[in-house]
Amino acid sequence: MSKPEKLIENGIRLDGRKPDELRPIKIQVGVLNRADGSCYFEFGGNKVIAAVYGPREVHPRHMQKSNSAVVRYRYNMASFSVEDRKRPGPDRRSIEVSKVSREALEPVIFQEYFPRSAIDIFVEVLQADAGTRTAGINAASIALADAGIPMKSLISACAVGKIDDTLVLDLNKDEDNYGQADMPIAMTPDGRITLIQMDGNLKKDEFKEAIEMAKTGCMAIHEMQKAALMEKYSSQIEGENNE
Amino acid sequence: MDKKLVIPGEFLSDDPLLADEGTYVEDNKVFSTVFGIASFKNHVRVVPLSGKYIPKPGDLIIGVIKEVTYSNWIVDIRSPYDGLLHISEFPRRIENDEMSKYLKMGDSIMTLVSDVDANMKVELTLNDQRLRPIKEGRMIEVTPSKVPRFIGRSGSMIAMLKNETKCNIFIGQNGRIWITGRDNEMELAIKSLLKIERETHISGLTDRVTRFLKEQKGEKVQEKEPEKKEENIEEDKEKKESEGILDELLGNEK
Amino acid sequence: MSNEIIAELRKDYIYNLMIKGEREDGRAFDQYRNLVIETNVINKAEGSARVKLGDTHVVVGVKIQPGIPFPDTPDQGVIITNLELIPLASPVFESGPPREDAIELARVVDRGIRESRCVDLSKLCVIPGEKVWMVFIDVHVLDDGGNIMDAASFGAVAALLTAKLPAKRYDIGEDAPVPMRNVPVSITAVEISGSIMLDPSLDEQSIAGTKLTVTSNQEGEVSAMQKSGVQPLTTEQINYIVDIAIEKGNEIRDKFLVI
Repeated sequence: MSKPEKLIENGIRLDGRKPDELRPIKIQVGVLNRADGSCYFEFGGNKVIAAVYGPREVHPRHMQKSNSAVVRYRYNMASFSVEDRKRPGPDRRSIEVSKVSREALEPVIFQEYFPRSAIDIFVEVLQADAGTRTAGINAASIALADAGIPMKSLISACAVGKIDDTLVLDLNKDEDNYGQADMPIAMTPDGRITLIQMDGNLKKDEFKEAIEMAKTGCMAIHEMQKAALMEKYSSQIEGENNE
Repeated sequence: MDKKLVIPGEFLSDDPLLADEGTYVEDNKVFSTVFGIASFKNHVRVVPLSGKYIPKPGDLIIGVIKEVTYSNWIVDIRSPYDGLLHISEFPRRIENDEMSKYLKMGDSIMTLVSDVDANMKVELTLNDQRLRPIKEGRMIEVTPSKVPRFIGRSGSMIAMLKNETKCNIFIGQNGRIWITGRDNEMELAIKSLLKIERETHISGLTDRVTRFLKEQKGEKVQEKEPEKKEENIEEDKEKKESEGILDELLGNEK
Repeated sequence: MSNEIIAELRKDYIYNLMIKGEREDGRAFDQYRNLVIETNVINKAEGSARVKLGDTHVVVGVKIQPGIPFPDTPDQGVIITNLELIPLASPVFESGPPREDAIELARVVDRGIRESRCVDLSKLCVIPGEKVWMVFIDVHVLDDGGNIMDAASFGAVAALLTAKLPAKRYDIGEDAPVPMRNVPVSITAVEISGSIMLDPSLDEQSIAGTKLTVTSNQEGEVSAMQKSGVQPLTTEQINYIVDIAIEKGNEIRDKFLVI
């Protein structure tokens, strides 16, 4: 699709959203059998699945830390997740995304509880539509809780950007491609930022406003993450009552 | 409120002195570390709904032999940490080259955690008269943090299960459960155990499982017993339960 | 690859059941677990399928792009099958380039599709010698509950059956379905102490002496076969498996994989 003339008109974006509106989110907890914790997360057109294994033995041995768990994060995009088929295997982008995503989650994990072990987080993108890294972090956070990993809190993430000189929350693919700035952010529920990246062009006060917008977005996502976890157990209760 | 489902980071209390397992303190407030059931009687603690087994000295567990080295058996104890069973901890004096003859890869053992050091080196022993060799029967795995529920207040749940199914049931702290008995009775015991695993977070569990067992056996379901009242105060006894587990496993009351 | 240890107790239990003619989940020896196949699940792929076979869960995406034909087949399209045993799917899968298990699975799935000639490669030609359609089949295993082979194969075929050549996007004409001539179905059996069981669960697979996969089409023609594992098989066993694979293949084809 070639660049549309306007990305936002009369306060309405091309996909019908208002500037501060998130795309629809669908969350399923505990979708995988073999993993210790897992989460399927849909964020607009993004479909990602996160799995957590751990704490478990570290392979290779030399990577273990004597006084804490080692946290590893592997973000990977399936070949069929994007328009032009991606060759399988890690590329430079996925290695960078893996690193910053891991750094987004590490601060809240009580790693020191599990010396000489590994906490492995895997995020697979099955379908991509801008915002896969934030979708991945949101899913990983839930998967960690599902696995019983002790944490200070969940981490919630979303992106803020600028299109046609307007700040908007949660960019979709076209907005990301043709917009003026894209800033993914991850934070704790009390607003401490664990991931922030930016490419584009933002003036100082735009930047400050963007952070506030991201905070609102992340708070909303945190509520949904919490609800999804609760839902996993309450649906079980209902099922049992009907027995 | 007595019990509540909570997520990591959820606020629990203003009093840091009450903080117990599954919580952390920050800014003089108590928060949950895990996704689990928070209980507020006396202390504030959260029991996680999932999670790995972390060994502690004194735990009676079930291990599976992974590897036989020159003087140690390396035992899978369902934890990020392997257990080490030294040849000297075998109840008989045997030679190093006989080790596989007595315990080989794939064998299951009931064993006692004798020590866990700061590096999480886990030492096991077979020198304890409570321990039995596991040669027959069936084994299932449940979430380790739920083990107290399987045992029940003062061993009530496990006693009821043994009674209703006529099986012998041993519940390891690491969430492995060994059952022996007749085929169809073991099947019944396992169904009940899996039911408990699914429903630990719902109160009135002992009652429901008893009912379930009787229905499965085609017996008439009993009227509600005074047991019901005990369910409400079950939770504050849970702490005492986990201290008294060894006794319960033996079937002795101290 | 670190293999998980299966307790002898568990093996004994499965053997004892087998002697009585039973399986742990109550299935008959020739019965498949619950199978669910959904197609068109990935909008960025030209064809896709999501397969749940018991506890095994795979997603297959078919990406189709124009490309240059191989010099020895200038007027034929190209099929390339790839399979990832990603570490997300099992505690024993490791990160890194595909190793022998993943490669074997990919090649057997590929063989079943290629040798059955189910896709008419000559109809994938755009400009002979210059431009043909390249069909990439990517199998992403999400959860290993045993018998990834069949789940992957069902998924690949289901994805192909519902895939469209994206001609419009490349200004080659109108979009059209991938030309499929027949439907290969892969059936995997394991041998455990002389007994043959279909669609092994994870534990059955670990305990089995050997595995045999047979892929057949609706004419009852066998297009691919693969024995995987160490234990030998007798001619009788192999013949039996071929017969039952054709029969079972028809059952599954009629129910799930109709052109």
